[in-house]
Amino acid sequence: MANKTYLIAQREYLENVRTKTFWLGILAFPAIFAIAIGIGWLMNATKKTQTYTVADFTESEIGGEIEDAAQATILLDIIQNEMEKALPEEHPALEQLRNVEPGMIEAFRGMLPDNFRDALEAKVAERKAKYRYDDLETLGVAGLPREDLITALNEQVKDGRLFGYFVFENDPVEELEGSLSFVSENTNDSDLSSWYGRAGTRVIQKKRIAAAQIRPSVAKHIREPVSFTAEKPGEGDQTEKVDSADRARSFAPVVFVYLLWIAIFTAAQMLLTNTVEEKSNRIIEVLLSSCSPGQLMAGKIFGIGATGLTMVVSWAVFGVIGMSLGAEVVPQIGELNMLGIASDPLYLASFIGYFFTGYLLFAAMLVAIGSVCNSLKEAQNLLQPVFLLLMIPLFAMVPVVQEPNGLMAKVFTYIPLYTPFAMMNRASGPPPTWEYVVTTVIILMSVWFAFRAAGKIFRVGILMTGNPPKLKEILGWLRQS
Amino acid sequence: MDLALKLEGVTKRFGSFTAVDELSLTVPKGCIYGFLGQNGAGKTTTIRMVMSIFHQDEGTISVLGHADAAEVKDRLGYLPEEKGLYKKMQTAEIVAYFGKLKGMDTATANLKARELLTRYGLGEWLDKKCEAMSKGMGQKVQILGTIIHEPDLVILDEPFSGLDPVNRDVMRDTIVQMKRDGRTVIFSTHVMEQAEQLCDRMMMIHKGQLAFEGTLPEIKAGRDHGIQIDYDGDGDLLKQLPGLNRINDNNKAAELFLQPDTDPQDALRWLLDHLTIRRFDIREPSLHEVFVRTVEERDAARVDGNGGAN
Repeated sequence: MANKTYLIAQREYLENVRTKTFWLGILAFPAIFAIAIGIGWLMNATKKTQTYTVADFTESEIGGEIEDAAQATILLDIIQNEMEKALPEEHPALEQLRNVEPGMIEAFRGMLPDNFRDALEAKVAERKAKYRYDDLETLGVAGLPREDLITALNEQVKDGRLFGYFVFENDPVEELEGSLSFVSENTNDSDLSSWYGRAGTRVIQKKRIAAAQIRPSVAKHIREPVSFTAEKPGEGDQTEKVDSADRARSFAPVVFVYLLWIAIFTAAQMLLTNTVEEKSNRIIEVLLSSCSPGQLMAGKIFGIGATGLTMVVSWAVFGVIGMSLGAEVVPQIGELNMLGIASDPLYLASFIGYFFTGYLLFAAMLVAIGSVCNSLKEAQNLLQPVFLLLMIPLFAMVPVVQEPNGLMAKVFTYIPLYTPFAMMNRASGPPPTWEYVVTTVIILMSVWFAFRAAGKIFRVGILMTGNPPKLKEILGWLRQS
Repeated sequence: MDLALKLEGVTKRFGSFTAVDELSLTVPKGCIYGFLGQNGAGKTTTIRMVMSIFHQDEGTISVLGHADAAEVKDRLGYLPEEKGLYKKMQTAEIVAYFGKLKGMDTATANLKARELLTRYGLGEWLDKKCEAMSKGMGQKVQILGTIIHEPDLVILDEPFSGLDPVNRDVMRDTIVQMKRDGRTVIFSTHVMEQAEQLCDRMMMIHKGQLAFEGTLPEIKAGRDHGIQIDYDGDGDLLKQLPGLNRINDNNKAAELFLQPDTDPQDALRWLLDHLTIRRFDIREPSLHEVFVRTVEERDAARVDGNGGAN
């Protein structure tokens, strides 16, 4: 008897896996990632050179000094920029970086390994191509009186000759308020002005420290930021440093939950489409003359479940390849040890376990819906509430990972539809063993009940034509043994 | 007598609607058996119960001597009224798949599928997808999927609908051959001529109840003989024939039923005076006539009996 279920599952699986669209769909996922990254890179690469100038009305002519400093700190700025992107806003390392002297970075440059230095140099060259300083003479406005100069520069900004210009009204060393401005038509792209701002900060701070006659070492000491090093409890009275792999480990569940969600969502939807199509195709009756509705339903669910698993495994393969390629180029990726985490038997086994149980629950729901609908359009209407239910784990993902054993995490754990997501999500906790046992029992029981209920609806619904049944009728079918 | 199928007091209700009402029936082994009845009379419901797709609310069904039809599913072949194929599957593959679902092993099913398709003139289509086939070809593929496992009892729901004359002949030959191989074939049809020519026995179901059952002579026994004519001319004139009771007018041919006291010779004379008569034949009524009369009689009885069952 089980043999027929297997035959049906095998056919479903082969029919999906054999099509080109299936593999295109699988490729589409990493391709979209690649394209998203590629577009960002392309936008950056094709960005026009932003030409700027400085209108300095200060007596000390500090504008020129800041321009020199800005050019001298390109390398430092690149590093700061990258760190800002990579680290959370309040990270202590950022504050420390702000205190690094450009000269230290230049010395440091010589110590870098060749390949790393080349990458940096390329970035520097790229940055130099990005922003170009033209002095007033080059722009043909040197020596004009103040009003005429501003008018001329405004004209040049308006006709696109200039991206923008910096105005130094008063010497900012004494009074910053109302002294500096940046005039540009593009108010969204603040890269240029924030880079210039950093250079300015450095120059002005130095001057103020000198004016106050504070020794630079004292000034540095005063400005030293406060930070706590992240550690976790170890053996006895020991504590251990938290490295980046640890951080990745605690955020890995988010990646897994997201993958789990996409896999379940896609597979369950495939199942629905397939059921509705088969019903409108009228093949159902031939199949039912050879096997029982239960076998047919189980065969479909397992066949498409296997299809979903193939999809997830393919993505995982792409992920592993991408990760190892990425580790070649950027050593930090290797340090995160994502591969190590992914091949952790706890994650791997629970991922596959939760994929199947989660999928089975939603599959039972969707196959029942599919069996009572005559067209995909009808099915779409019934689907909306199901998809809303399915959205909730996505919203809950980040809060749960931040507090894996908190109240919200626990509540989600014991709602059967969300158990797989919540448990996967909490894996960084990790939850106590007894919770694994209890949730396994709960979810297996829920799957059993869902299958029984779906079986009853499927048996009657799949042969029905005409108007879809009312909820009352469906409840009536459920009550029949 | 060895029975392929036996129904006793079978009733099936859908909500308040009784689709099949205390139906009792026997189908002997090795015959071609016709299921007749109007649309919605209960033919398909009966067939689905025999195939254990539905379960009856009351009564017993025994198929090939087994009380539970599910036990002998693999020895049955079923072609439903609404026919569909997996469009993306290759023809040989889908025929073999149906065979495998009936318990054939993969190698045998594959071999048999290719052999059958070739024998039925679809040799070029073995590895082509079903979506490329015409309706007739698709139906052929389906009937092959129904008989690939050499079932003892084959049930065909409207096997001839949608087929051109050539493919009708193929279907007819297939049915006759199955009978000659010792299998039992049950088929439902709306085409009375087909039932008349093919069936050893037949039954008619009307509004869920058995209307008649038996061999063709048994069914026609006791019915008024009619006059069958082939004619040219204005058919409307036929209605003015003195002593005419009922008429089935087909434009170039007609079946006439006279009132009991009318002499057929007078009718012939009248007809010769008014129309060009090419054939004049007094014989037992056609199955078509029996069918239509049965519907009329039963509906009249229903009204007379205040909707009571009879």
